[in-house]
Amino acid sequence: MSDAAPSGHPGRGAPVSLPAAAGLGLKPEHFREVLATRPALGFFEIHAENYMVPGGPFHHHLERIRADYALSVHGVGLSIGGAGPLDEAHLDRLAALLDRYEPAAFSEHLAWSSHGGVFFNDLLPLPYDAATLARVCGHVEHVQERLGRRMLLENPATYVEFAAAEMSEAEFLAEVVRRTGCGLLLDVNNAYVACTNHGRDVHAYLCALPLAAVGEIHLAGFACEADSLGAPLLIDSHGAPVADAVWSLYDEALALTGPVATLLERDRDLPPFPLLLEEAQRAGVRLAARLPMTAVA
Amino acid sequence: MSQKTTNRPASAAALALALGAALTVAASPVLAADAAKEKCYGVAMKGKNDCKAGAGTSCAGSSMRDHQGNAWAYVPAGTCEKTASPTSPTGFGQLKEFKEKKA
Amino acid sequence: MNAGAFAAALLDRTAPCPPGLRSWNGSAVAQRFAVYRNNFAVSLVEALADSFPVLRELVGAAFFRTLADAYVRRVPPRSPALAWYGADFPDFVAAFPAASGVPYLADVARLEYVRILAFHAADAAPLPAAALAAALRKPEQLPALRLQLHPSIAVLASPFAVVSLWAAHQGLTAIAAVDPFRPECALVARCGDSVEVTAIPSAAVRFIAALQAGAVLGEAVAQAASPSASFDPAACLGLLIGRQLLAGPAGQQGGSP
Repeated sequence: MSDAAPSGHPGRGAPVSLPAAAGLGLKPEHFREVLATRPALGFFEIHAENYMVPGGPFHHHLERIRADYALSVHGVGLSIGGAGPLDEAHLDRLAALLDRYEPAAFSEHLAWSSHGGVFFNDLLPLPYDAATLARVCGHVEHVQERLGRRMLLENPATYVEFAAAEMSEAEFLAEVVRRTGCGLLLDVNNAYVACTNHGRDVHAYLCALPLAAVGEIHLAGFACEADSLGAPLLIDSHGAPVADAVWSLYDEALALTGPVATLLERDRDLPPFPLLLEEAQRAGVRLAARLPMTAVA
Repeated sequence: MSQKTTNRPASAAALALALGAALTVAASPVLAADAAKEKCYGVAMKGKNDCKAGAGTSCAGSSMRDHQGNAWAYVPAGTCEKTASPTSPTGFGQLKEFKEKKA
Repeated sequence: MNAGAFAAALLDRTAPCPPGLRSWNGSAVAQRFAVYRNNFAVSLVEALADSFPVLRELVGAAFFRTLADAYVRRVPPRSPALAWYGADFPDFVAAFPAASGVPYLADVARLEYVRILAFHAADAAPLPAAALAAALRKPEQLPALRLQLHPSIAVLASPFAVVSLWAAHQGLTAIAAVDPFRPECALVARCGDSVEVTAIPSAAVRFIAALQAGAVLGEAVAQAASPSASFDPAACLGLLIGRQLLAGPAGQQGGSP
C-alpha cells in the first residue's frame, strides 16, 4: 500500500511508519492515566497547535508518552486550502515541533481555516475546481518541502457544496495525491458524514479515493441534525461513539486498504479513558484479524 | 508611586541578613506548611485546538443570536450576585440587564 | 469561490449567506452555512470559557456566552495556536457596559489569563541551593547580584480581592465571605504541573517586577519599599526560594548567559 511513491518526490523524508494498530487522540485530561496504565495502543495522536507553547505540563507529559509510543502529529490550523500564501511562522513552529518529537506521521486537512489574517478555528470547505487544485497542490508541496517529509491529507466533513465544482471530492484528492506524492488520511467518519450530507454513494466515493496512498485512518462519532427539507445533516462532532454504519464502512475500507494505523478521535464529552480504550480496541481487533498470522506475537 | 527618588539601594549587610534569613525560612518545614495553606491551585488546562464541529445548525448559535438581536432582559445568574458591593443598590454585585442594541 | 465573502459571512451574523453555495437536494444553503458560522463562534466561546472559568462562574453561563460571543466577533484569533487567545479579553470585559456594575471582573480575568501564560511558560531549572550559599559568602557582591526568576512568574496588583475571589471558586472559601473591594496582589507561578496563585504584599509585587525588569538585587529591594508599605526582603526571597522560583544560573551583573 505504500509503494505508491509517485514521480517528483521519491522517498524523501520520513515515510509514514505508524504501526498498523489502533491509536487514540491524546487529551491532556488523560495524560496521567496514560502514563500510569500504559494502555496497549499502537500510537497516540496530538493536535499540533496545542503543543506550540514554550514549556510546561503539555510538553512534560508528551515527552514521557512519546518515549513509549509512536506519535502522529495532526495539524488543525495550517489552512492548506487558504486563498493566500501559507503562514510561514506557523510552518516554522510546526517544523520545530516535528523536530522535537519525531512523529511517525504528520497530517493536515483538505480545508481552509484562515483568511485575511483571521483564524476561524474551523475546517472550511473548498470548491473542487482547477484553480483550487493548483493552489492546494502548491501548498502541499511547499509543506512537504519545508518539513522535509511526506504529509497525509485528510478528506473533510462538509455541510455545503459549491456550484463552481468541476470534479468530485474523490477525484480532487486523487489528483492532489498524484501530483504531490502526499498520502491520504482516510477519515471514515468524514466520508460517511460528507456523503450523507451531499446525497453521494459512500461506497462509490470510497472506491474513487486514492486508497493505495492511505497512511492512516480516522474514526469518530457524529451528531445528527436535519436540513431544511428534513434530510439528515450530519455534524462531525467528535462527541459520540463511532456509529455502526461507520464501523461497517471501516470494514469495507480495510478490505480495500489492508491493515492501516487507525485513530479513534474524541474531542467532546470525553468518556472515562477505559471506555475510549475499549472503543479503540474495537478497531484494533479488526486490524489484528487482517494482519498476517506470523505477525501475531 | 513617587518614592523612586527617596529609595537608596539596599546595603550589602542588609541583603546578606535578608538572604540568610530567606534560606532558613525556605528550608523550614513550618513555612512550607503555611505556604501550602495560602496558595491555591487551579484545575488542569485543556488543549484548545481540535477539529470537532459541535454547534450544528442551531443550538448555542441561535440562542446567542437571540441575546444580541433583541432587547432581552437578562437575569444574571452568577456568583457575583453573592459578593458584597457598596455601590450597588442591593448591596450585592450586579450585572446590568442585557439590552445591547444591534451593532 | 470568494473566500473573502465566506469569511465575512462567518464574522457577521447579519450578513447574507455567501454566494456560490449549493445543496444536493435543494435544501436551504443558509441553514447549512450556519453550521460553519455557529462552529466558528461557539468553538471560540468555548475556548474562552476554558480559559476564564472563574469569570464565567462570576457572571453566569448565559451572560458569559453573550460577552464572549461579542468579543469573538470583535477580536477573532489572529493565530492558529489558541492557547493564548483572549489576551485582551480582560480589557474588553472592563469596557463592556452591562458588566460595569461588577468592577472587579476584568482583574479576575487578568489573573486567569496570567495563569495560562504561566501554565505554558518555558521551563527552567531551579537555582541550586549551593549557588545561593556561595552568593552569601561574598556579601559585598550581593547588591549587584542578578537573580533570574522562573519564566512562569507573574505578579498582579489589583484594587480588588482578586486572589480571594479566585480562591472562592476553587472551593477554598465561601464567596459571600469575600470583600471584593479589599485590594490584593497575586503571585502566579507554575509549580510542577499546576499553576499556583498566592496573595503577596504590594511591596513584593514591586520587588518581583523590578527583578523581572532586570534590576540587580540591591536596586530591586530599594524599589520595593514605599512610604506606605515596608518591604520584608527575607520573607519574599524565602517564598521565591522555597517555591523554587529562582532560576539558575545566578551571575554577577552582566554575567547571565
